[in-house]
Amino acid sequence: MASELLKGFRMLDLTDEKGAMCGKIFADLGAEVIKVEPPGGCSTRRIPPFLEDEVGPDRGLYFIAYQAGKKSVTANLDSGDGRAMVAELAKKCDFLVESFQLGYLDSIGLGYDALAELNPRLVYTSITPFGDKGPGKDYKWADIITWAAGGMMYLMGEEGKPPLEMALPQAGLHAGAEAAVSSLIAHYPRQSDGLGQRVVVNMQACIVWTLMNEQAMPILHGDHLRRSGVYVGSLGIRRKMVFRCKDGYISSVIGPGPTTKNLMDWVIEGGFGADWMKTKDWSSWTPGLFMKPTEDDLAHITDMEDRIEKFFLTMSKEEIYAQTLKRRLLLAPVATEADIARDVQLKARGYFVRVDHTDTVGRTLTMPGPFAKLSETPIEVNRRAPRLGEHNLEIYGELLGRSAEQIAELRAVGAI
Amino acid sequence: MSRYAFEGVHVLDFAWVGVGPISTKYLADNGADVIRVESVSRLDVLRIAPPWKDGQPGPNNSQFFASYNTSKKGITLDLGKPKARELILKLIPWADIVSESFTPKAMRNWGLDYEHLRKIKSDLIMFSTCMQGQTGPNAMYPGFGQLMAALCGFYYISGYGEGQPPAAPYGAYSDFIAPRFLTCALIAALDYKRRSGKGQYIDMSQYEAALHNLAPALIDYFATGKSLGPRGNASMRYAPHGAYRCADEGPEERWIAIAVGSDAEWQSMLTALGADTSDERFATALSRIENREPLDKFIGGLTRSQSAHDLTVRLQAAGVAAYPVQNCMDLHQDENLAAFDFWHWLEHKHMGPSSYEGLQHRLSRTPGELRSAAPVLGQHNEEVFRGMLGLTTEEIEQLTKENVIF
Repeated sequence: MASELLKGFRMLDLTDEKGAMCGKIFADLGAEVIKVEPPGGCSTRRIPPFLEDEVGPDRGLYFIAYQAGKKSVTANLDSGDGRAMVAELAKKCDFLVESFQLGYLDSIGLGYDALAELNPRLVYTSITPFGDKGPGKDYKWADIITWAAGGMMYLMGEEGKPPLEMALPQAGLHAGAEAAVSSLIAHYPRQSDGLGQRVVVNMQACIVWTLMNEQAMPILHGDHLRRSGVYVGSLGIRRKMVFRCKDGYISSVIGPGPTTKNLMDWVIEGGFGADWMKTKDWSSWTPGLFMKPTEDDLAHITDMEDRIEKFFLTMSKEEIYAQTLKRRLLLAPVATEADIARDVQLKARGYFVRVDHTDTVGRTLTMPGPFAKLSETPIEVNRRAPRLGEHNLEIYGELLGRSAEQIAELRAVGAI
Repeated sequence: MSRYAFEGVHVLDFAWVGVGPISTKYLADNGADVIRVESVSRLDVLRIAPPWKDGQPGPNNSQFFASYNTSKKGITLDLGKPKARELILKLIPWADIVSESFTPKAMRNWGLDYEHLRKIKSDLIMFSTCMQGQTGPNAMYPGFGQLMAALCGFYYISGYGEGQPPAAPYGAYSDFIAPRFLTCALIAALDYKRRSGKGQYIDMSQYEAALHNLAPALIDYFATGKSLGPRGNASMRYAPHGAYRCADEGPEERWIAIAVGSDAEWQSMLTALGADTSDERFATALSRIENREPLDKFIGGLTRSQSAHDLTVRLQAAGVAAYPVQNCMDLHQDENLAAFDFWHWLEHKHMGPSSYEGLQHRLSRTPGELRSAAPVLGQHNEEVFRGMLGLTTEEIEQLTKENVIF
């Protein structure tokens, strides 16, 4: 059972790793998402790691995660007949999302202009690494280079060592989600005037948007942040953000406000407070990154950070986390998958869902569930990712009216 | 035909900090009439956070606040005062959407929760976004997106390797994942209302949204107990893959990110670098992946004397994925962002001209835009209290004296 929210709307998904998240969001919202794959399978089927380290077209964890909820048809875009099938599908779809090199779909007659003529309602969304106009518009892509181009890589890592990406590449996920939002923005006016439009998503811009308040710092403060490991820093001052504890790490925000006093009270209570900490007026303490700290300030900050860490080293992540609500502290454990799987809040809200994957990997899998709770039209996460061409008969047959023989013929000539 | 996608959509916006305002900003930049309800007694924390114009702190001087609140109007009302809440209730019939991002119970305590408001407007759409959702034992968890990023596991998968401390992303990373999910649900709900006449309540936990960016690791853990953990820039698919140091530019270190996915690209890369190697360890894709450390050393030796920018151009011309690792000053000069018209200088009532991040996408027929700079505190009080609610000058003066309009 799918969500009622986008029920009745249909999306044609021609994305790879640059945009799979778009169709995933649409599927969660109840749209029928038809993934078009080459007869050899979408490249995202080959992204490692694989479930239980066993390679297979349905066993890639990226594929399982981000192609869930979608249907799969095959179409050979090198074949005239294959392209014709995709054009026919596009006529019956409300949305099309793609992430090919700029100009490729145009060159095979499946560009926006061609398809809009067949289907003026179509919202056609193209995901690009660097936009469609600049010197990088045809650039070869890998997730890490947009992470670097967008500015977040520079900020991750330690001074003197290489800058970093995360162990799970993120840029394509941001762009895919932005494609979902912008497709829906285009959808809204179309509902009243019947006209679709072309949408272009810029992945690099999506990464720039993760930088929070960094972007204007050089312009307004003449300086920018540098990667500093467990600190956040720029010239002049750095602040420790991540502290060791008994069984891992704790992330903290120690800034102006009552939560800082609460933290200091706790540290003092625990026997790790210095005298100066007991008398300080914490409610007026604002050691921001761009304040000009005195020598005393710097000495105090270092002392305070040392003492907090020594205190945290006597406790586990779970113990410390349990105090955050009680004492109103701005702290969080650096959670591992195990911590997240055990989390009481996610359990109470029934967040993780069990989805039957018997036909693909021979078992049920637990996955992240609805990304929001809607009161009238709940999001449903209950369909696994499709097998290759699993819905050829259903889509080419029922939706496009082809007989079983015709579909077999299309397969025989290599169109699908 | 409307110029903007959301022309005629009305949003009464109580949301503050990051996720809520970024979500309503999508609507505002696309023509929705969004009124932010703020209070001097309870300032949006972004108004008192840097960066500030001329380095001067001040509630109307923060680019942090300004960047997330373009195209919106702003009024001041102290919701702690009953008269303020009366005025809010008078605005509800105007609102298609009400948004908020306080800790759960705030709106309830003020009688401004969904159950109350839907009695005034039965097809209202309302969203609440907070760290961990409206229900559950940790619903009242105090926090910001930076902490959520740690809770979601993003810190855990950022670092040089197992046993190394986290080298986390800067800032409230999950605050830039959640808004897209929220805005998708919101627009779909808006459209659903138009088709069905029914509004609804959206309870968004930033935790539940942001975890989707870690889904493969979570699925694997549940199924097999395996943990992803930090692994530097190592890839199971590409080698070389990572950041390589290039020639310094003055005091600035320069690095280039490179990813090579095939033997053909590997050969092209060597040619572009004017290098060659007969090292067995680098002969095939698999052997390159297995010998990552010596490979990275080898490549690093070749790139160290090169300009990151020039090397990017040469490598890309040879069909190899590469781009400089950019700091945020570079971003303001990036040719691709410029060609996409990404940076905008807007005239802010107090700050004067300042630099804003633009849109991450472009629509061909009904493009959104940064229609105006963020509002100063109470910038639209006159327009809303007199123009929309019909209050007289005397009434407005009295309410101001009583710190209701405050």
